[in-house]
Amino acid sequence: MAVTHDVPSRLDELVSTAHRIRQAIESVIEGKGDAVRLTLTVLLAEGHLLIEDVPGVGKTMLAKALARSIDCPVRRIQFTPDLLPSDITGVSAYNQQTREFEFKPGPVFANIVVGDEINRASPKTQSALLECMEERQVTVDGVTYPLDAPFMVIATQNPIEMEGTYPLPEAQRDRFTARVAMGYPEPSAELEMLDVHGGTPPLDKLQPVATTAEVRALIEAVRGVYVSQPVKKYAIDLAVATRRSPDLRLGASPRSTLQLVRAARANAALSGRDYVIPDDLQELAVPVLAHRLLPSVEAQGQRRLPEQVVTELVRRVPVPETRAS
Amino acid sequence: MRLSIASAVATFCAAVLLYPLFHGGSWFWGSLGAVLAVMCGGLVSGRLSLPAWAAALVSVAALWIYLTMAFASDKAWAWVVPTKGSVVELVKLLGTGWTDIQRFAAPVPATEGIALLTTGGVGLIALVVDLFAARLRRAALAGLPMLALATVPATILPDPISWPAFIIAALGFTSLLIADGRERVGHWGRAVLVRRTRVATSPVPGAERETADTRGLRLSGKRIGFAAIALAVLVPAALPAMEPVSFFTFGVGGNGPGRGNSISIPNPIAGLKGQLELPERRVVLSYTNTDDKPRYLRIYSLDTFDGEQFGMTEPKGTPDNKTENGPLPSPPGLSPATKVSNVTTKIQLSDEIERLSFLPLPYPPRQINIDGDWRADATTLMVFSTRDEAAGLGYEVLTTEPTVTGDLLETLPQARASASDPRYLKLPDNLPSEIRDLAAKVTANARTSYEAAVKIQEFFTKTGDFTYSLRTQGSGNSALKDFLLRSRAGYCEQFATSMAVLARLVGIPARVAIGYTGGTKDGDRWTVGTNDSHSWPELYFDGVGWLPFEPTPTGSLGQGSARVPAYTQPLPRSTSDSSTPTPGATSTADDSPLGPQNRDNPRALDREATIADSGLPVDDSMPLIGKIGIGAGVLLLILLIPAGIRLITRSRRVRALGWKVSEPSDEMTARVVAGSHPAVAAAWAELDDVLYDYGMAREPSETPRALARRLTERYEFGAEPAASIATIASAVERALFARDAGQIAPMKKDLRKVRQALAATVSRWRRVRALLMPPSTLRRLRQMGEGVLDGFDRLENIRWRRTAAQKGS
Repeated sequence: MAVTHDVPSRLDELVSTAHRIRQAIESVIEGKGDAVRLTLTVLLAEGHLLIEDVPGVGKTMLAKALARSIDCPVRRIQFTPDLLPSDITGVSAYNQQTREFEFKPGPVFANIVVGDEINRASPKTQSALLECMEERQVTVDGVTYPLDAPFMVIATQNPIEMEGTYPLPEAQRDRFTARVAMGYPEPSAELEMLDVHGGTPPLDKLQPVATTAEVRALIEAVRGVYVSQPVKKYAIDLAVATRRSPDLRLGASPRSTLQLVRAARANAALSGRDYVIPDDLQELAVPVLAHRLLPSVEAQGQRRLPEQVVTELVRRVPVPETRAS
Repeated sequence: MRLSIASAVATFCAAVLLYPLFHGGSWFWGSLGAVLAVMCGGLVSGRLSLPAWAAALVSVAALWIYLTMAFASDKAWAWVVPTKGSVVELVKLLGTGWTDIQRFAAPVPATEGIALLTTGGVGLIALVVDLFAARLRRAALAGLPMLALATVPATILPDPISWPAFIIAALGFTSLLIADGRERVGHWGRAVLVRRTRVATSPVPGAERETADTRGLRLSGKRIGFAAIALAVLVPAALPAMEPVSFFTFGVGGNGPGRGNSISIPNPIAGLKGQLELPERRVVLSYTNTDDKPRYLRIYSLDTFDGEQFGMTEPKGTPDNKTENGPLPSPPGLSPATKVSNVTTKIQLSDEIERLSFLPLPYPPRQINIDGDWRADATTLMVFSTRDEAAGLGYEVLTTEPTVTGDLLETLPQARASASDPRYLKLPDNLPSEIRDLAAKVTANARTSYEAAVKIQEFFTKTGDFTYSLRTQGSGNSALKDFLLRSRAGYCEQFATSMAVLARLVGIPARVAIGYTGGTKDGDRWTVGTNDSHSWPELYFDGVGWLPFEPTPTGSLGQGSARVPAYTQPLPRSTSDSSTPTPGATSTADDSPLGPQNRDNPRALDREATIADSGLPVDDSMPLIGKIGIGAGVLLLILLIPAGIRLITRSRRVRALGWKVSEPSDEMTARVVAGSHPAVAAAWAELDDVLYDYGMAREPSETPRALARRLTERYEFGAEPAASIATIASAVERALFARDAGQIAPMKKDLRKVRQALAATVSRWRRVRALLMPPSTLRRLRQMGEGVLDGFDRLENIRWRRTAAQKGS
């Protein structure tokens, strides 16, 4: 109860901090409010973000802008076909002076890890990320090293570049809380981008607006957001609907239900609410669920994407019994 | 296979309708056996895939063997195989059965002959049904023989078929149709017409089925069948009976309970014979009267003659003629100048009488003290009720018998039949000429109609050499002819009918009365039993009205308790016979002409005038336009029920909206208030219904917030309603999903604003419809109906699962 009572005050703090971060990012990326908000949502929900789109729309820029606006260690890994697992996690090297093996932490030891073009690495290397993402720890030579909180992986990938890419395995896609597509900017936003960033690299001007401790406090506040039973049931209904849909070969996992509710909490907090409403779930259903689902052969034949299927399900699944008896 | 069994079940269900025809249940088991025998024959021929004609032969053989086993096993070879002897025996039994049926009135005792007839008949029906349904695959046609079976009790008995028996028979036929439908559809492939996937996909134990899944179809079939049967039973009960007297002025007679106010004319003759046939005497009623003389107690007065027997014109009892409204209408034809003797009779009816709604009364009744709604028919003075039954009643009746002597009758004016209704003289045109000749011969030397009447009676009692016998032969015109000219043996019915016919032939208005004789003296009461059932003719004479005559033999060789009235004795005899009530016999017998005290009663005067004018009872019902108006009003009220429900719901919700969610006094109260939120619930439910009424219903996946957004955008709300709907949505959201809903402001105004804004966007027609025939209420009613259907489904599934489990074990 102690936590609940100061939720509102923390919320105010959260909303203002989040606002600052958003403004900072949007000063770099024009007209992508939704993507930025989703990014923040995932950060506050302690999740990982997959940014998928064609080259040149600002995927890496978004990841880097977020990393820059928070004053925390940021590492960037450029995934290539010859990248090895140890290049990510780190290696134990023999120190000739101390005559001992010494662990050299890899780039994954940071608060925000930007994995660029993640689908260019071999599956072996990709899977090295799995443990880090889910368990927030790294095990090398039998020794486990915990990762710092917050820990967020922002990965980018190109969907249409087929040459030299390895598609992400389902298990790994399932570990990303949400996937966001950047999309081309509006002409006006693009024009402004040319005006503002025509000369200087935009990221240079970006100053951190929040500290790691602040972000940790925000995450703590998000954990206190209330989810009522009907809303929980609604989240389960949505997940079950994907499992039953004849258009989908693979439905949403229980992990995805969990992440959907977490993300909904963060979304509610970002809206200044200390309780989750079905609208939060509806808003997040596509980004959180769609990338985990596999369309059935029939749906593929009809060129129906999982996004469309999820949108349809959201329109069909009844919201929790709003009709009071 | 299935069809043969279904046909047998259906036939047997239809045979249940026969139950009121019989005493005892032996016919029932016999018929069951016959149906089973035919079914076995059907199963055998079905297994051998015989053609229809061969199947019919097999079934006939099965039925024959069964009948031989049941009725002539001692003459058959090894009790089973029919022999010449057994056939002769069966034919003989059939003959006996035929005469028995002629002899007895329903319900008949189950003699062996009658049992054979019944069993054979049911067996034949079963055979035809099986042939139609199972061999020729025309299940609907199989209804015809069953219908024929059902018409037997319907035509013989005065009472309608009882509804439980009807339901059983209808269910039998429905199951036959369903079985046929399943058999047919079973060959199609998978059924696609199923109402609900839940029903269609309920797990079926066992492997893949080869035929189509017809469970859904069967379910729909059963539903439709049940609904049709229920309608067939309920709707006629709710409808007014088809008769001239309208639904609103219950002005007619009838008998029997539980049939609303419909009338059915009983067949008194059938009942009369049944009573006379009873092996033991049962007391029907007892009475005392002020002059302690036995009097015939009339129940029915039969006025129409169709050539076969006398029947009753539907009696009419206007509310004016209720017994509680004072004196009854004046006896027709009784002139005020005629001397009458007033007698009071106290009658106590037995409790055992069943379905009697006419009162046994001495004639002519003037005033009756009785509880209940009893009415007199103005022309015949029969007293009856459409609601009450006579059983167990005690009542008091005042009669004004004309003091009649032969001399008086001799001197009556010779205006034959002038004042009486022509229906009392009507005879069928095809009356045999021999009877006309007989009438002329019997009354050859009569100078007056009275003398003719006396001669006719004398013909029956003395000169004609008639004998009394309860056996009857034949029916119709030939029966009358046979009785009058050849056999000259019969019981009171034949005597009374014949005398009435002969009287009509010579121009005397005549009718047949049915009731009881005066009975026998038992202590200080007169008791009347079933064997005192009697029928006698009543003849009309101007000035004195209707007088009973007695053509039936009396005494030990005839109707024991019948008495011959003195005035009907041949003229030369003295007129001081004691069986006629004499003036001043008791202290209360008031010997006077229909005097001033009666004349003083304006009602009596009015009624006489009315009867004299039209000869028909006056119905004081309301005009047709008024009835149509009332009907339309009732219809309108029924149509307005949904609107009424809607208004009540709304006002209840608005009241709930007014409840203030006051500052909670402690944490606990706060939780309770936060948990219930009657105001929010009411507002949301009302908003939901308003939207549905206006045809902009909330989608099931639409959240309060999304709904507010949609309404605001699509219907271009102004600032005020937009704010209102946002307020409501946020309140609902908080009430439903927040940990603590906080302070919720009253939403009455907001709701009104939203409703007005919504109403402004829809057409006038829709607004009117939302008011008069609100779709939201209709939806709720429909949901209730669905709920009932679901209940049926559940029952159905329970049964199915049990049988499946039994099959598995």
